[in-house]
Amino acid sequence: MATRAPGRPLHGPDPATPDRSVGAASVIPGFGLTMGLTIAWLSLIVLIPLSSIFLRAAGMGWADFVAAGFSPRAIAAYKVSFGTALIAALVNALFGLLTAWVLVRYDFPGRRIVGALVDLPFALPAAVAGIALTAIYAGNGWVGQYLEPLGFKVAYTPVGITVALIFIGLPFVVRSVEPVLADLSAEVEEAALSLGARPWQVFARVILPAILPALLTGFALAFARGVGEYGSVIFIAGNMPFTSEIAPLLIVTQLEQYDYAAATAIAAVMLIASFALLLAINLVQAWSRRRVDG
Amino acid sequence: MITVNGLSKRFGAFPALKGIDLDVRDGEFLALLGPSGSGKTTLLRIIAGLEFPDAGRVEFNGEDVTGLKVADRKVGFVFQHYALFKHMTVADNVAFGLSVRRRGQRPPKAQIRARAEELLELVQLGGLGHRYPAQLSGGQRQRVALARALAVEPQLLLLDEPFGALDAKVRKDLRRWLRQLHGRMGLTSIFVTHDQEEALELADRVVVMDRGAIEQVGTPEAIYMAPESAFVSDFVGESNSLPVTVTGGRAHLFDRPIDVALNGAIDGAARLAFRPHDVSVCGERVGCLPLLVTGVYRSGGEWRIEGEVAGIDRTIEIDVSAAHPAPDIGTRLGVRIERARLFQTGEQP
Repeated sequence: MATRAPGRPLHGPDPATPDRSVGAASVIPGFGLTMGLTIAWLSLIVLIPLSSIFLRAAGMGWADFVAAGFSPRAIAAYKVSFGTALIAALVNALFGLLTAWVLVRYDFPGRRIVGALVDLPFALPAAVAGIALTAIYAGNGWVGQYLEPLGFKVAYTPVGITVALIFIGLPFVVRSVEPVLADLSAEVEEAALSLGARPWQVFARVILPAILPALLTGFALAFARGVGEYGSVIFIAGNMPFTSEIAPLLIVTQLEQYDYAAATAIAAVMLIASFALLLAINLVQAWSRRRVDG
Repeated sequence: MITVNGLSKRFGAFPALKGIDLDVRDGEFLALLGPSGSGKTTLLRIIAGLEFPDAGRVEFNGEDVTGLKVADRKVGFVFQHYALFKHMTVADNVAFGLSVRRRGQRPPKAQIRARAEELLELVQLGGLGHRYPAQLSGGQRQRVALARALAVEPQLLLLDEPFGALDAKVRKDLRRWLRQLHGRMGLTSIFVTHDQEEALELADRVVVMDRGAIEQVGTPEAIYMAPESAFVSDFVGESNSLPVTVTGGRAHLFDRPIDVALNGAIDGAARLAFRPHDVSVCGERVGCLPLLVTGVYRSGGEWRIEGEVAGIDRTIEIDVSAAHPAPDIGTRLGVRIERARLFQTGEQP
């Protein structure tokens, strides 16, 4: 199913699969061919376009690079982008887990409809989401008109950005966690209960550790999507430099001013930061999965 | 002592249990034996508190526990597929039951660790506490599951097809070992199985179940030698069955009388059940069952002979000593039924 796809590629090796190390001659044929195609494909689609960013950035000299990539405005934009993406991913991890739990554990009328709703943020053009959220959370919107008197200003602030990113990132966590939660055997929970564990202990000590790798996958995907998100954010953000301007918007702004060097410098910094964060999450994930699969 | 009274349970339209009454004695090793769908696992799960009955009571030592959840019943439960916690070491698995206790009742950490190690020694897995379940064989995993269940010192040990996922050799070793452990620890244990050999070998008493009801409760000897119903006779051990009519205290296959001792049989239609080894070869006399030999196989020290009973379309299997030469296929053989049981039926012979 296409909707499951985002969660799948990051899932680790099946525990039943024997050693797949590169050095050992494998009985499964086609390693050379498939690996070659994969590398070629990844190069064409990911590596070459990305390396052009670094080539351009490298051409501008170190001082210029730092001046453009670490200008106060750029640093503020990084903070907004990574900060809101992190908060949104954390919120999504919590509520995505809850949604997946409800979808897997309980049978209720309209379960399929809820399941389809979860995928909507995947299908909806990001701009539509941004406009809709802005309309609702603006000072005269459905929700905004009640929040504003209470002192909560959502639209045109980082809070608004976070709301948009939560919307965009929700399916990643739900779809990553759902299959793992569904595969969890009821016997394991019954075993824990029979040993005297109370329900919260069963959740904290038996269920959560088992789904943690998948939850981290969903978190990483939601976070990565949030850092790069542009379309839905620019409508609700207000785009005030130093407070609610995201880094992708700053790049576009620089491009519109024909300052390609500054744009590539900011892009390069974002790229390195994102890669480092995703790599770190992947390592944590690999560690937690190794403990499960032995 | 465990007492089960009038237990009924339905899953949707399917009646899983139909009014079960059962007493389990202290220190007993009891087998629940039956085909799939007989309700044996449901009965075990209700006794455990993993399932709740629609009607009836479960009592532990006279105390009504019907409404108690599994966590409050102090039972150990062992699952067919081990149900180990994969992300915990073997030692942590075993210690789980102690480490989830409330603060006041929880032993200190060092004591929990020592107890886990002690239990791992008991199940012959000493020194493997640091491993993860994925690093153990099936037999070892099931022993970890057993140690984990024993850690909470249950008054009752419940095992759901505990050997079902293991291969034949491991299964045999493990069940003998479990039998000894049961005796040594003075446990009361109930285990579910569909394997009659396992039930007869291990259990003090066997409960044979079919379609949500108990067919017979008895020692393995009684279940095998004196089955009380046609179902038990068919299900436990190998059995042949012939439709007969009883008139004047004698069994007739159609109009032919059959020589077989019947104690107090009532006239009418019945099924005559007998084991393959409860026959002897007897030539062509009146009262012998004429067989048309359709197959001969070597089975240990005996011939397993497959034959069609002349006159009716019914195949039976018998064992005769391999001291005689094997009869040829297609020849006739007279057979005398030495020991048989008769079950009344309504059906026409």
